[in-house]
Amino acid sequence: MVFSCIPFVFFFLPLCLLLYYAVPFSWKNGTLLFFSLLFYAWGEPLYILLMLFSTLLDYTNGRLMERFGTTGPRRAFFLCCSVCINLSILAFFKYAGFAVSSVNGILGTQFAAPQIHLPVGISFYTFQTMSYIIDLYRGRIKAERSYISYLTYVSMFPQLVAGPIVRFSDIQARLHSREITFAAFEQGLLRFMMGLFKKVLIANQAGALWEEIRVLGVGETSVATAWLGALSFTLQLYFDFSAYSDMAIGMGKMLGFDYNENFRYPLAAVSVTDFWRRWHISLSTWFRDYVYIPLGGNRKGIPRHLFNIALVWFLTGLWHGASWNFVLWGVYYGVLLILEKYIWGKALEKAPRPFRHIYTFLIVVFGFVIFAITDAGELRNYIGLLFSCGASGWFDTRFLWYLDNYGPVLLLACVLACPVYPWICQKAATLSRGKSRLLSAFAAIAVLLLFVLSTAYMVSDTYNPFLYFRF
Amino acid sequence: MIGDAIITNAIIRKTLVCLLCAGVLCLSAHLVLSPKKDYSENENRYLAPFPTPSLETVLDGEFMDALSDWLADHFPRRDFFVGLKSGVEIASGRRCVNRIYVAEDDYLIEPYDRPQNTERITDTLRHFYEKIDTDRIDLHLMLVPTAVTVYSDKLPAYAPSCDQLETARAIYDATGIPAIDCTQRLLDGASQGQLYYRTDHHWTTFGAYQGYLAYCDTKGLTPLALTSLTARTVTEDFAGTLYSKINDYGHRRDEITVYTNPEDTLTVTYLDTGEVTDSLYNFDYLEEKDKYSLFLNNIHPLIVIENTSAASQDELMLVKDSYANSMVPFLAHHYRKIYVFDTRYYRDGPSSFLDDHETVTDILLLYNLNTLDGDTGIRGIY
Repeated sequence: MVFSCIPFVFFFLPLCLLLYYAVPFSWKNGTLLFFSLLFYAWGEPLYILLMLFSTLLDYTNGRLMERFGTTGPRRAFFLCCSVCINLSILAFFKYAGFAVSSVNGILGTQFAAPQIHLPVGISFYTFQTMSYIIDLYRGRIKAERSYISYLTYVSMFPQLVAGPIVRFSDIQARLHSREITFAAFEQGLLRFMMGLFKKVLIANQAGALWEEIRVLGVGETSVATAWLGALSFTLQLYFDFSAYSDMAIGMGKMLGFDYNENFRYPLAAVSVTDFWRRWHISLSTWFRDYVYIPLGGNRKGIPRHLFNIALVWFLTGLWHGASWNFVLWGVYYGVLLILEKYIWGKALEKAPRPFRHIYTFLIVVFGFVIFAITDAGELRNYIGLLFSCGASGWFDTRFLWYLDNYGPVLLLACVLACPVYPWICQKAATLSRGKSRLLSAFAAIAVLLLFVLSTAYMVSDTYNPFLYFRF
Repeated sequence: MIGDAIITNAIIRKTLVCLLCAGVLCLSAHLVLSPKKDYSENENRYLAPFPTPSLETVLDGEFMDALSDWLADHFPRRDFFVGLKSGVEIASGRRCVNRIYVAEDDYLIEPYDRPQNTERITDTLRHFYEKIDTDRIDLHLMLVPTAVTVYSDKLPAYAPSCDQLETARAIYDATGIPAIDCTQRLLDGASQGQLYYRTDHHWTTFGAYQGYLAYCDTKGLTPLALTSLTARTVTEDFAGTLYSKINDYGHRRDEITVYTNPEDTLTVTYLDTGEVTDSLYNFDYLEEKDKYSLFLNNIHPLIVIENTSAASQDELMLVKDSYANSMVPFLAHHYRKIYVFDTRYYRDGPSSFLDDHETVTDILLLYNLNTLDGDTGIRGIY
């Protein structure tokens, strides 16, 4: 079940919240757990067992580590046990088919690739459970005593299937005592609505254009159209994924949890390094804290630093999907980050700001082309089109057609991808009472209208994917 | 994005949150409690039925998908919401909604996609043609261009479309069947009347009349003048198939005008149902959504139309799609008998029918170019 659909918005969420608020505190985790499992089972009725197994494993290992892990090697044993099994499960369910077909491709063998359907959210919850066990090993947290609470943490439906990757250390306290206030509910609901509007009214529209452009036949795509397609995919992905995080954070607030922000206007970044501080923050900090820094980060000499960056970005790419284009996408960023660190980073900082925005934006848009197309041949063709190889000219009437049809929504998306909203909020805080009342009233009416409109889109929309479900 | 921190006024904020919650709860309660429809007239389709769960359908997720469809289909004021979406899309500059062009002058026009089956269609038609004794029978093929070609000047700027006439030429050339090209007649008629419905993929009776003129040109027949016929506007509230696709419920509706020739004495026999009438129209369909079905009573595998006061003793075999249904009223004047085939449903093949009916003097194959490529009936010709 995606968040932006009728069953979720009009049934699942209200029902869950009503019950959750009605029961006494000692039942709240149980209620939340029940709805989370129902939510997961709605999309993955069978794989729910896999998630139960995975959480039981980490829970047990955590308890054992605390009980018997008096010495370093013993603690390491439990850590290893947990991490290895978790990674094996992830490798098997996500990468087995990919590994076999890659081997076949390289060696020319004919092994049958296993047909395993990817369990929704496995990449996200595996990383959550691993953060738990690693933090426990490092002594940063105490082991969770209640399996129900632990399972509630991992399976919590707002962040279960598409992040943000919430660390146990961030919410352990809240798991056991949290205050649920009307103010937090208000804030959460409005944040959820914001995500809903972004997803339904913008991401899906940008996505529709991308779907149209990518299937154009030979000789139907001009260079301008190809770049427009790349732009629309970039906007789709950003609005889709950040909307999902908005909705997750909003629902978290309504339930009494505070999740960290996952996006900070990444498309307005001024360098690639900056982009990765703003895009999918919970994933990049995960890799930073659990892979990059343990390997020594930048403190063990240049060769080691290069290796660390390369490894982290190879893994980041691979995490996004079992396909070579994702690896390529990761490596693309690895190389660019190394170049920024060692070659042109200093020069870039001195460059004029507009240039830095354009430089970053072009790199990001081009990068998402690699991200978007899993088929190697199709990817090659599309990249060719971007540089006029195989294109039907630089510019054509079809481009104008798309611009006419989708121009307004793309323009709106571009504006909203810049930090306009925080700017307005800042201004709003300084307004006089009368003016702020007027602005509030205007914004409230806008929210109501947008909600009606989003409902209209959900009722009639057939195109409503969540891109990050694949991961 | 408009959201939390802009609304700094606490009272307005609380009011908004309460309104949102109330809205959600009212709509969901309404959805559960209200009586349900099975069929959407506006969308011209059956709505999803309530699924019954079984272990199997729950485990493979089929039940959950069906339940989601059911909820979306039976959402309160569904028509309002669906229409709102189309309206906002059009207002935001979209000129193509659900793959339909929103053209000038309130016309909704289907685009013409790159044809996929031209070769197969050509083969079938050629086989059919080879079997015909052309000394005895006069065979013609008429491929009717649709609004996307004839009304190309009404299309939104830069709207992409493939060339229908190129497909028509390719089929005429490759089959060798004598062609009746009504394109020029249609283009000439454009200034005198409405050739296609604004909300439907068919031509109007006036458009069909242009096709009929082109037919007479080729056949050397003297066409009936429109003024000699009785015209009657039977509805002003026709919302056709394209209307259903874009769901813009405020869209301008169409008139349907039907022509009858007072001189004709007709006997119309529907062979599948055995029904016999004296009219080419079934006005019961005026009460329904798909009013175009009033022409020749919608779909029948084989209809025999006899005209005892016809101008000749000739017999026409008409193999066609629904475009021909509104042209038959003009053709009926010239033939003692017309056999009308819908080869999607007529299973025995018109070829063998021909062997049993030696009185047939003419054959007309009539298809519109837009649905020709996907027409499943073509296979049934031969």
